[in-house]
Amino acid sequence: MKGGKYFLIFLVALVSVGICLFSTAFAQEKVIKMALKASDIRSLDPHYGTTTIDYACIDPMFNGLVRFKPEDINPEKIEPDLAERWERSKDGLVWTFYLRKGVKFHKGYGELTAEDVKFSLEKAANKATSGFAADYSALDKVEVIDKYTVRLTFKSTIPSVLGILTNYHGGYIVSKKAVEEKGDKFKVDPIGTGPFMLKEYVPKEKIVEARHPDYFRGKAKLDRIELWFMPDASSREMAYRKGEIDIVEGEREQVWVNKMREIPGTAIEIFGPGETLVLHFNMTKKPLDDLRVRQAIFHAINIDELMKFLGPDVTEKLVSPIPMNYLGGTDKVPKYEFNPEKAKKLLTDAGYPKGFEMSMVITEMSDYRRPMEQVQEQLRRVGINLKMDVIAHSAFHEQIRKDVNPLVLYVCARFPTADPLLTQFYYSKSIIGTPTAITNFSHYNKIDDLIEKARVETDSKKQKALWAEAQKKILEDAVALPLCITKFVFGRKVYVDLGYEMRSTLTLVTTIKETTDVRK
Amino acid sequence: MLKYAIRRMIFVLPTLWAVVTFVFFLIRIVPGGPAVAALGSYATEESIRELEKQMGLNKPILIQYGTFLKDLCQGDLGKSLITRRPISSEIARALPYTLDLAIGGMIIGILFGIPTGIITALKRNRPPDYIGRILSLVGISMPEFYLGILLMYILAIKLPLFPVLGGGDLSNLSSRLYHLFLPALTLGIIMTAFISRMVRSSMLNVLREDYVRTARAKGLHERVVIYKHALRNALIPTVTVIGIYMSILMGGSVLTEIIFSRPGLGKMMVFAVKDRDYIALQSVIIIFSAFVFLFNLITDLLYTLIDPRIEYR
Amino acid sequence: MAMVSQREILIKTFKNNKTSVVGLIMAFLVVIIALIAPWISPYDPIAQDMNVQHAPPSWAHPFGADSYGRDQLSRILWGSRVSLVVGILSVLFAMAAGIPLGMIGGYKGGRIDNLVLRFIDIFMSFPIVILGLLVLAIMGPGLIKIVIAIGVALTPRIARLARGSTLSVKGKEYIEAARAVGQNDGKIMFIHVLPNISGEILVMGTLWVATAIIVEASLSFIGLGVRPPTPSWGAMIRDGLDQLTNAPWLSIFPGLAIFISVFSFNLIADGLRDISDPKLRG
Repeated sequence: MKGGKYFLIFLVALVSVGICLFSTAFAQEKVIKMALKASDIRSLDPHYGTTTIDYACIDPMFNGLVRFKPEDINPEKIEPDLAERWERSKDGLVWTFYLRKGVKFHKGYGELTAEDVKFSLEKAANKATSGFAADYSALDKVEVIDKYTVRLTFKSTIPSVLGILTNYHGGYIVSKKAVEEKGDKFKVDPIGTGPFMLKEYVPKEKIVEARHPDYFRGKAKLDRIELWFMPDASSREMAYRKGEIDIVEGEREQVWVNKMREIPGTAIEIFGPGETLVLHFNMTKKPLDDLRVRQAIFHAINIDELMKFLGPDVTEKLVSPIPMNYLGGTDKVPKYEFNPEKAKKLLTDAGYPKGFEMSMVITEMSDYRRPMEQVQEQLRRVGINLKMDVIAHSAFHEQIRKDVNPLVLYVCARFPTADPLLTQFYYSKSIIGTPTAITNFSHYNKIDDLIEKARVETDSKKQKALWAEAQKKILEDAVALPLCITKFVFGRKVYVDLGYEMRSTLTLVTTIKETTDVRK
Repeated sequence: MLKYAIRRMIFVLPTLWAVVTFVFFLIRIVPGGPAVAALGSYATEESIRELEKQMGLNKPILIQYGTFLKDLCQGDLGKSLITRRPISSEIARALPYTLDLAIGGMIIGILFGIPTGIITALKRNRPPDYIGRILSLVGISMPEFYLGILLMYILAIKLPLFPVLGGGDLSNLSSRLYHLFLPALTLGIIMTAFISRMVRSSMLNVLREDYVRTARAKGLHERVVIYKHALRNALIPTVTVIGIYMSILMGGSVLTEIIFSRPGLGKMMVFAVKDRDYIALQSVIIIFSAFVFLFNLITDLLYTLIDPRIEYR
Repeated sequence: MAMVSQREILIKTFKNNKTSVVGLIMAFLVVIIALIAPWISPYDPIAQDMNVQHAPPSWAHPFGADSYGRDQLSRILWGSRVSLVVGILSVLFAMAAGIPLGMIGGYKGGRIDNLVLRFIDIFMSFPIVILGLLVLAIMGPGLIKIVIAIGVALTPRIARLARGSTLSVKGKEYIEAARAVGQNDGKIMFIHVLPNISGEILVMGTLWVATAIIVEASLSFIGLGVRPPTPSWGAMIRDGLDQLTNAPWLSIFPGLAIFISVFSFNLIADGLRDISDPKLRG
């Protein structure tokens, strides 16, 4: 069968050619695939990105005037990024920044100049073009002095000017030309100066970022990063086990950590600053308007049991709404020990000897839902029945801002000083339902003066004292119950070399930098 | 024949329009809006309201309906309220994964279901029949997501033979098939159960018919009797239910896509529900229905082809 | 006359048909378990005990324990209540809505029938799970809402069946007789048509209960089911999925429970259909 033999040879040749082509295409590429716990990005426009997944995708693509050191979020160690150096006026109201020369934007959008910085900061400060405009309310004007010099003037002093200019939230600098050109499309096709640039966005599936050949700190070691959206814990775990993923966002539970540690070739990163889990009491919903009821709930919660459920490796104690490792955090606050008997007595005093019922919504996202299910059980033991509706994460965020819930469990991390948390959660202007609402779910309004004074206080000792007083009052009035801090948990193949030591980061994920490498 | 096809398609349009209208208005009964979903958990009330204005969610409902119909006719399925990108491109990207799965499942079902149905019919009340019937009962009693989990556990975790995530690269045929295998097998097993039962029952009916006895009496070889006469007639009612089964398949694909993380329409739909992205939900459901209609139409046409007794009206 | 023969058929079915007897016993057991679950459960299904988090099956916990240390056996026993309540109530809902609809369409014919057919077509174009999804997306989660969601999805299917049966019964002599006597349509439909189509509908009813149980599990699995911490088999499978590599029993047992319940209803339906086969096609 001569024909048959020739056919066979042809087939073998075809297959070998195919294999060669296939392997040469991928042989030298250095790629890292990361799986994150989200179903999709909200926005790649850095002035709108607020969820973990947004940060993970945005951070490799942008820089700020200044930046946190890669391994440390200590605001006192901020270092130059796009700006080489800066000057500050005596009254702290005028800041002049001198930009690096020769910083190139992605994809041929030109060199970074003061015009871009002015444009970017004005965009960040504008409600219509930024979700973080409130951070820049004290910014009066931004002036271009020359091609590489920018001058910022503030209306009043703020706790940390450098803080709002770092590689975080509004501080990311965008390309003026790109934003003007792309308009709304900038959200899915952003242009920045970072070590990586956007290559592909497949909605609900992944984002692919490719190396930016003209990055000012030198070309990144990786050719490509792939960030996969995998909200399902089991899918993420399977993909990692099978080697389809190199870095995986974990569940913040001991079980997960133990499980993953057993997979050969795995390094588990547990890092800070972690997110605070705080239970906010909506004081407009009866019977939470009664201090005794709130105190009863405080006593009914067994924080040790909760932390045991989540696991010792991933949790840290939290006694105040502001964590100790934030600037201004204190532990000198009233503490409510676990005492169900006392809780029941307080409830009886308040007129609820048999307890009562409350309805609320909770997100299906495990970081919120699982601790809340524990809380639900603990409250049930003292007669308080929580009826919880599990809804989607985005719907949850929308509903709680409509004043639906009597109790709101909020998990978040913010810039590590006391002001952002105090302002967003306990300042009267932030009360939900008002035009300037942020996230004051409790409707608390008794520490406005302390917050305002601390903001403009230049003596750091006095500032910390004011912040400490504010925290004391929050707990005295039993407005919000700090549960614990959960740290970020990531699993990583040992052949991934991050290029820096992962200790803590505001981007909440194992960020890929230009120094990250793959050693296979 | 073509005229009949065109007439059937036109007949379908008013129903499709009714489906579309129903979905449109039903979805707008939902209280609440996704503006916060788009802006994230950090934004102020004002930013939220501004976004609602931008998306036209505050216009009177009839105007929204009119715009919706006009856009639909031009092939514009609207913009997702979350990503703010055209839904048609997202659907176009997701569609092949769902179609692959539905067709794959159906092919497996037909490939294994028809022979099984025939065998169990021919060997009625003997061991192969009992086994076949129990297995098919098991198949239709198994929730598809459970079966998917079991298959995944055995064939992808315990024995790492198959991938667990994604749909693979569409342009690369081997990757596409490799990622299709387990999900299609999941639905295929269930389809096999349904189809074999259907084939068995209609074969049994046909085998009792007069013309079969006549054929046998004529002395025709048994195989000819079965394949030439009985089977063809038994397949006719089977074809009619394939349309319904396709609908079951499409429904089953939703959960299968979630288990195997296939980026298809079903997964898109569930996420749209969870995210309150009702523009995306509306569009995906419309496309889903359109395909169900399409499959029913194809089934109808197949039926007229196969059944010599039907005349084109 | 007609009603008696239907009953006779049912009794004969179970006397002669082993499969449906087995199915009936199994389904009966499931129903009994659902009823007495509160009394036979070894533990409170929502009581948490961190000391047995993810415990494998043992004497103390025959089906293991979940992430909160809740006993799986108790949760599966209690979960049967949700599945059965939803399964049966949603089918009853669909029958209450669908049977009159189908009967009226089939009996009256003409324009009314076209309307009914159109309605059926529109809603049948949605796979059940998807229509259920849509309805729940609007109403939110909750037991009653799931019953309504699945009931609405099943209504057109039952209506179509009722219509078909009505059509085949329409020409019978006793209908003609009643009409000749001058009985009005309503009376005819409820006194004569309904009893004669009830046999087929009962058979399909059991089948749809099986389907409804699977749909409820599917919706719970997606996360649109009953509120936690109420146990539901579908939600239990979903929660167990995260622990598939370290505690597979958490997903496997609830799945078996669904399978067994559904299997038993399918057995009954099969048995019923076997006996009346030639009459039920259509």
